[in-house]
Order: sequence, then C-alpha cells, then structure tokens
Amino acid sequence: MFGAVYRRLPSLLMARRNLGRTKVRSILAALGIVIGVIAIASLGMFGLTLRYQITQSLGDIGNQVLVTPGEDSDAITERDLREIEAAAGPEARVVPSKTRITTVRYGRSGSREPSAVGEQRTIQGIENPGLIYTAAEGEIPEPYRSGALIGPDLAEQQDLEPGDAISINGSSTRIVGVLAAGDGFGFASPSNEIILPNREFQSRGYSQVLVSTRSSTAANETAVALRSRLNGRQERVSVQDFSSVAENIGRTFQALNAFLIGIGSISLLVAGVSILNVMLMSTVERREEIGVMRAVGFQKRDVLKIMLSEAVLLGLLGGLVGIAFSLVAGMAINEFIVGDALLAFRPSNFLYIGLAFSFGVGTSLLSGLYPAWKAANERPVEALRS
Amino acid sequence: MAVIETRNVVKRYETGGETLTALKGIDFAVEPGEFVSIMGPSGSGKTTLLNLLGLLDDPSEGEVLLDGEDVTGLSDREQTRARKRTIGFVFQHFYLIATLTAKENVEIPALFDRDPTLEGRSVDLLERMGLGDRLDHRPDELSGGQKQRVAIARSLINEPRVVLADEPTGNLDRETGRQILEEFVAVTERDVAVVAVTHDELVNEYVDRTVNLVDGYMGEDAPTSTGSAGEHGAASDADGAVAPSGAGERDAEPDGTFEGVESRRDDSGGDR
Repeated sequence: MFGAVYRRLPSLLMARRNLGRTKVRSILAALGIVIGVIAIASLGMFGLTLRYQITQSLGDIGNQVLVTPGEDSDAITERDLREIEAAAGPEARVVPSKTRITTVRYGRSGSREPSAVGEQRTIQGIENPGLIYTAAEGEIPEPYRSGALIGPDLAEQQDLEPGDAISINGSSTRIVGVLAAGDGFGFASPSNEIILPNREFQSRGYSQVLVSTRSSTAANETAVALRSRLNGRQERVSVQDFSSVAENIGRTFQALNAFLIGIGSISLLVAGVSILNVMLMSTVERREEIGVMRAVGFQKRDVLKIMLSEAVLLGLLGGLVGIAFSLVAGMAINEFIVGDALLAFRPSNFLYIGLAFSFGVGTSLLSGLYPAWKAANERPVEALRS
Repeated sequence: MAVIETRNVVKRYETGGETLTALKGIDFAVEPGEFVSIMGPSGSGKTTLLNLLGLLDDPSEGEVLLDGEDVTGLSDREQTRARKRTIGFVFQHFYLIATLTAKENVEIPALFDRDPTLEGRSVDLLERMGLGDRLDHRPDELSGGQKQRVAIARSLINEPRVVLADEPTGNLDRETGRQILEEFVAVTERDVAVVAVTHDELVNEYVDRTVNLVDGYMGEDAPTSTGSAGEHGAASDADGAVAPSGAGERDAEPDGTFEGVESRRDDSGGDR
C-alpha cells in the first residue's frame, strides 16, 4: 500500500526515510507539536465544557424575569403590577417586593434576645414568598402575615434558627423559617436575604417584581412582551431576563476560551521553533546530498517539496498523536466537570480538535519554509565542494 | 559534433577583495563516446572546469555549448533541465543517499518523472554493473566499488550524452579502480562520452586522451602514457577520427604556458 503512495509521491518517500534516519530527533520535534495540539485542543474543550456546564445550570433557573423601575420611574406602581401580571399570563408567578435599608440586630447564639450591635442591611418585603422560595427549616407561613424569613448563609453566619429573634429597625421579630439554598444563579437567590411580610412596609409601590415562568423560552417571551407593553414613550420599567445574562456569561467564556487557546498557541510556537531548528540542522547535515540531487537534475522546487514534506510529515505525526491524547484529555475533562465522558465527542469539541490539528500542521509547514528555501537555494557547487 | 564544448572560458572568483582566476581561457570539446581525462595538480582549475561542463556553475567569460547549443546564461531552471537530460555525474565520495536502497539511489535523478519504466531501467543498469543481487541494499551495506558502480548506474539512468566523473577512483583501491574504469569504458562503447577529472595515473591507461590543466591553462600534447587495456583498441581507433583538431591552434597561443600534453592511446599494450 505504501509502495503505491510513495510511487505517486516520491517526495514523501524521501521525507519519511530522512525522518527515519534521525528518529529520536524527529520524534522530539513531533513531540513539540503533540504538546501544542493537546494544549490547544484540551484547553479549548475545557473552556467549552465549563461553558456547557454553566449553561446547563442556567437552564434550570433561567425562567425568571426581573422587573425594576425604569429610568423615568421611582417605583413600580400597583397599575404597573397589574399590567405585568396581565403580560405574564395566568401560568406565571408574579412576586412583587419592596426593599428598605435598615438596622438589623441578631440574637447571640443560644440567646432568645437580639444583640446590642446592629448592622445596615437591605430587607425585602414580599407578600407571597412561598411562590419562589422554599423553607429548609421552619416554614413559610401561608398567608404570610408575620415573622421573618432569612437566607441560609445568613442563618449559618449568625447561627440563627427558627424561633430566634432578630431586631429590625428596633422592633423584635421572630424568625419563622430559613430558606433553602438556590442554585446560586438567578434573581431570587436567597443566600443572605431577610424577608418580612409586605405589610410591614409603608412605602407605596414596589422596588422590583420577579416573574417566574414555566421555561426560559417563556421567560424570554414575557420579557419582550413586558418591554413593549410598559415602555412606550417613557421607560417605566427595566426588564432583565437571563438571555442577556447568558449572553454576558457566553461572552466571558468566549474571552476565557480565547485566552486559553492563546496559551496553547504559545506551546505550538515553541514547537515551531524546535522544528525550524531540526530542519535547519538537517539541511546543514544533508548539504552534500541536496547538492547531489540538484546536480543530477532536481529542480529547486523538488528540493523544496522534499523538505516541506518532511516538515508536514512531522506536523501530521504530531497532530495525529496530539488528537488521540486530546480526546482522552477531553473525556477526562467532561467526566470531571459534567460527569459524562462521552460528551467529549460533542461536535463543537471537534471544532477545537480540528483547529488544534490544523494549527499544528500549519506551524510545521511554516517552520519548514525557511530551511526548505535555504536548502533549495544552496548552489550545488558550494554544497559539493569537499 | 561535440557533445560538450567550452569556448575561451574564463572563470574568476572573488575572494576577500582579491580576484582569483581559476580558468584562463579554456577551449575544450568532447565527442560522443570519447573517454577523456583531465589531469592537473591541485588548484589547477580541474574541478572548476568540471563544474562549468556540468552546468553547475557559470563561466565569467566565454561560452559552454551542450550539443552545439549555448547554455551559458540560462536560468537555473533551464540549466537543471539541460543537466538532467544530457549529463550524468559520478563523484569521488559516491554521494549516495544513505536512506535509500541501491535501486532507489539509481532512480533518484528520475524520481519525480512518474515514469513507469523507471524501475525496469534501474534494475537493468544495476545488473549491467553486476549488482543484480544488491538491489535492495543500503549504501552502508555495499563496498566502495559497489557504491561507485551504483553511482555510475545513477549517472546513466536518464540516458545522458556525457558522464562527468570527479576523481572516480580517488576513494578506491587500485584493483577496484580498474574495475570502475572498465565500467566507464563500457559506457563509452554505448556512445556516451566520459570526462574524468583525476590525479590517478591509472585512469590514463583507459582513456582515449588526456588533457592537462596547469594554472588555469589547458594543454594537449604528445602522449605521455603508454599503457592501455587491450579491448579498448577499437574504441580508440574510432575516436581518432573525431578527436578535436584544436591542438594546433592552441599550440599557436602566444603565452606559451602549455605544460600539459594530450596523450592519445594508440597502442594495444595490455597491462593486466
């Protein structure tokens, strides 16, 4: 089989034999390409897998739309709220909330009374927190008329549990429930919240309205509907949904990926220099041989072809081995991050593998250009002067 | 018509601001089937002349004719093509490619031609050289004489008109040298001219004529060598008819620096 290939491509035969002559050196040069290809491919796949994992998590909670007062408004009025409810449709849960910054004092561990030292915190007033939160300890009363709900992180920090008292703006309130931790993303992250019943707040209008829909697609549609319905000439509300956040995250990861691939490319650059070095040594060593080939009728471009074939052969060898290792690395990354090794075979991963491979071969070709040019342009008379 | 010819060729080298004139006006011609040796001390310009004949270098003045066609000033590409078509090379150090087998080495000059008859021709040539059982041997598995025979086969693969040999026996012992020279004589019998640059007096036992090169001048004079292999008599008789007639003209040159002689083999005295 190889015989036929070599008969058609004699430069490949010459190149392969020449590489075989200095095996260790050729392998080391190809190793540089292997490392470069692995670096690019696996760093690219790593970034991609991270992004995939984040998008998966976002998918769970990307069904929320946050409405806050727009530029031309101080608060969301009852009228706005009714329009939001109308736009969101009957299946969506609409949770308006008020916020206030006030002094909060916590009870010391074991004590049932709040401590003397207070801190400034934002507290939320929500009428029906049960729509978006669940309680990890205690309960969310239904209907919610008294008592405070606190986030899990705050409860841990301050060593609080249901039944303890906290003082909010001077009046002592019992904690009725500790909220369950959310996924870490989304507008309704409970971690450090303090929630009171809505009626504890005197202010008119709401500081934000959270709309929770069935799916992220529905969330997106709701966001679009809200923008067109409420924001006519005036920007009464500002609508945030996860499509923009996801976009931001996507951009961040794209930048991260570019950075990782940049790092990988440096290793390929080094590999390129090592191939350049090997090829230059090879042209010096084979000066006479190349001189003879020129003397017996090889054109410059024939010599060029042979030398470039060598460089490309090194690149192909390194690239193929690199791909094999990259796939293994990709499986390990996917197993580790997403828990499914087979996800390494996603098409977008092959994009990176292909990119790394062509970078590897391209680097070899570029590194081979100068030595090949040098070999081809050596005058046979000079080369054969012994 | 001469297969290869130089007319008043001058070659100068610039070295460190000094100009060295290696060849000072050489007129030289080789007829088809002729075996000519170029002798001379080191630095006499032998190799320079061979390089000019082989189109490996351009003369500073004068012209080089290949089959009557002026090939000076051709592009590298055209010179390479002419070289491939007309000229075969044999070197003192053989210069076989170490990674290739004997057969592949012979095929080298035609490697890029995609010629289906190539393999057959290379095998034929190697068999002619008595290397039919060494086809797939690498150069390091061959003796010096075998290597040089592979090199001769390589020089013949493109069916050249002239073979240029640079010290072809220089790296061989006397007996092997004789065998190689026999091969050259066999080559000339197929109407291919052989020009050998050499120090080796042994060569002169086989050649049709010897030209001497001293200090960049060429002289062709009376015979100095007596020995010759018997079986070459016929070839040398034929050569006599086409031998260059330039000797007389050169004798008339005013500088009178000819120290060389042309030796013509005219006896059949065997020396083996």
